[in-house]
Amino acid sequence: MTTPPAGAGVETQWQRLDQRMLLVHPIRELLRFLPVLVGVFFFSNRGGGSDVRWQLLGIAFPVALGILRYFTTSFRISGGRIELKRGLLNKHVLSTRLERVRTVELTAQPIQRLLGLTTVRVGTGTASTSEADRLDLDGLPVDLARRLRADLLHAAPVATEEPTTTEGTAATDEPGGPEALEPPPVRVVLRLDPAWARFAPLTSSGVVATVAILGVGSQVLDGFGVGPRVDVDPAVTGFGVPWSLALIAIPVLVAGMSVLAVAGYLVSNWGFTLTHATRDGSWHLRRGLVTTRETSLDDERVSGVSIGEPIGLRLARGGRLSAIVTGLDRQASGSSMLVPPAPQTVVTDVAGQVLGADEPVTSELRSHGPRARTRRFSRALVPTGLISLLLILAVVAGAPPWLLLAAVLLPTVGAALAADRARSLGHTLTERHFVARSGSLFRQRQALETTAIIGWNFRSSWFQRRSGLTTLSATTAGGSQSVTALDVPETDAVGVAATAVPGLVDQFLADDSVADESPADQPASG
Amino acid sequence: MWVVGALLESVLLLLAFLLIAYVWAPFDVRWWVSVLVVLALATYVAVVPLWRYAVHRWEVTDTAVYTQVGWWTRERRIAPMSRIQTVDYSEGAIERLFGLASVTVTTASAAGALEISGLDRELAQRLAEELTVQADAVPGDAT
Repeated sequence: MTTPPAGAGVETQWQRLDQRMLLVHPIRELLRFLPVLVGVFFFSNRGGGSDVRWQLLGIAFPVALGILRYFTTSFRISGGRIELKRGLLNKHVLSTRLERVRTVELTAQPIQRLLGLTTVRVGTGTASTSEADRLDLDGLPVDLARRLRADLLHAAPVATEEPTTTEGTAATDEPGGPEALEPPPVRVVLRLDPAWARFAPLTSSGVVATVAILGVGSQVLDGFGVGPRVDVDPAVTGFGVPWSLALIAIPVLVAGMSVLAVAGYLVSNWGFTLTHATRDGSWHLRRGLVTTRETSLDDERVSGVSIGEPIGLRLARGGRLSAIVTGLDRQASGSSMLVPPAPQTVVTDVAGQVLGADEPVTSELRSHGPRARTRRFSRALVPTGLISLLLILAVVAGAPPWLLLAAVLLPTVGAALAADRARSLGHTLTERHFVARSGSLFRQRQALETTAIIGWNFRSSWFQRRSGLTTLSATTAGGSQSVTALDVPETDAVGVAATAVPGLVDQFLADDSVADESPADQPASG
Repeated sequence: MWVVGALLESVLLLLAFLLIAYVWAPFDVRWWVSVLVVLALATYVAVVPLWRYAVHRWEVTDTAVYTQVGWWTRERRIAPMSRIQTVDYSEGAIERLFGLASVTVTTASAAGALEISGLDRELAQRLAEELTVQADAVPGDAT
């Protein structure tokens, strides 16, 4: 099946999506209407049995809707704009300038992969989260989509090098064709090593997924009345039965979680390849076992990276990497991931390559000094200490004595966390990057290009002012919107801000010392 | 303006408290608790707006906007003129009562909006215009 001759140049006429979507849309609509359909069948059967018209209507309506969707959707690229027209009753025309295109993402769901189609999602960094405002070209043949992406990113066609050699188990492959293009200078930066899946159980997403599955599962079981209900006569058994049950259940649970997490990791990251096209300067990423995703990031838009090291990963010497992309915020974090949970060496290596410099990732961070350290400890110990005190008082007043255990445990854990957090704190300024690290359970090291900084926030509570600390955030238009260094000594903070973006902070320094009433606040350099 | 704002806040809080304490009455409330609450709110009204007023500062130069806001937690924000995306002028209900207005300067980052509140209306309008002109003068998409 051939498609309209698009993608040859950047200019195209209004055109429809691929004809194969005629097949996809009705199926999708049918799936969406499934509950209604079941209802229709049920009722028409009950009401006398032979009223087939209703049943036919029930099928015909979604199918017609799907077909209409195809005929009412069209797009074109002209005059430096990409425009998308859709809708039957509510006509909707989306249009955006080509140079506003920040990311292009190709996603292929299973049905689409069977038919060799893919969805092109054009990311423009809009703040709108509404579904209707997304520029999705749903259903283009893969080769056309690739060419379109290349056009959109002002680049030559990007071939994916022998994409599926490792995907032996994948149900469907892309139908051949586009891969025949001659390969432009593309450097493979990273390929997934299935052994990395061992990191999957250590991330929180794995745990969350498992908990969700367990929750739903137990509810369903409960519904059928076969829930794992144990009737224990407390008078007879005391703690015996629940404890032994827990002893069996916990390892099973942990094993199950690990398996699920590994499976999830492999499904979403199968065939993960990160490549860098040197000619046009953009990063291409492809992954996915069932639904394949391909993301392209423009070099200029990648303004920094964030290395996440949740405690589990950190203990296993792993980490993950995501890009701070101008115009992509946290909601789109899926498309900014650069390295899935993987060994630390891999992560730092890729981070260095993405940033074009190793220092932001490897260099020592300047610690925030003893006062920041004290603050970490006081923040951890004062609340837990109070709780412990209350617990002790409660025990004295006649509560069960095992509460004492909690009273000891809480501050200990708090202190351990505080020590770790204090150790993690740090920031530095390399030649082109502002680097900050903080956190313990979710430690993050973020490096942001100084040219991408669009403002500074200095935030300090009364306690922070008393110890001469401030929380410095460099705001930016991507990622989590800012890179924050916690509890930086005031002088350091002002110094960093002034050197990172020359000519911005300095002009206010003199005022600063006048404006502040409390002496602890004055930047010594002011 | 902040006095009135704080006053309204406190009165609402007090009403909520009274409602919970005496109408809904999930547990017994001693009279001295009520007195303490009233005292706390009164201090809030008396102290915080003045404190706020003493802290709040703003400044606009040729290349940047700078604000300092807050009372307990104090935040200073700096945004370069070249990265300003929108300039909002708004008058809240309480502000209108006093003929005041606020100017909000947003950048491309969700973390970087600067609000200068409680400005004299004319000054605010002038400021908003000035900022718009200056921000316009810089080419690029401000990210």
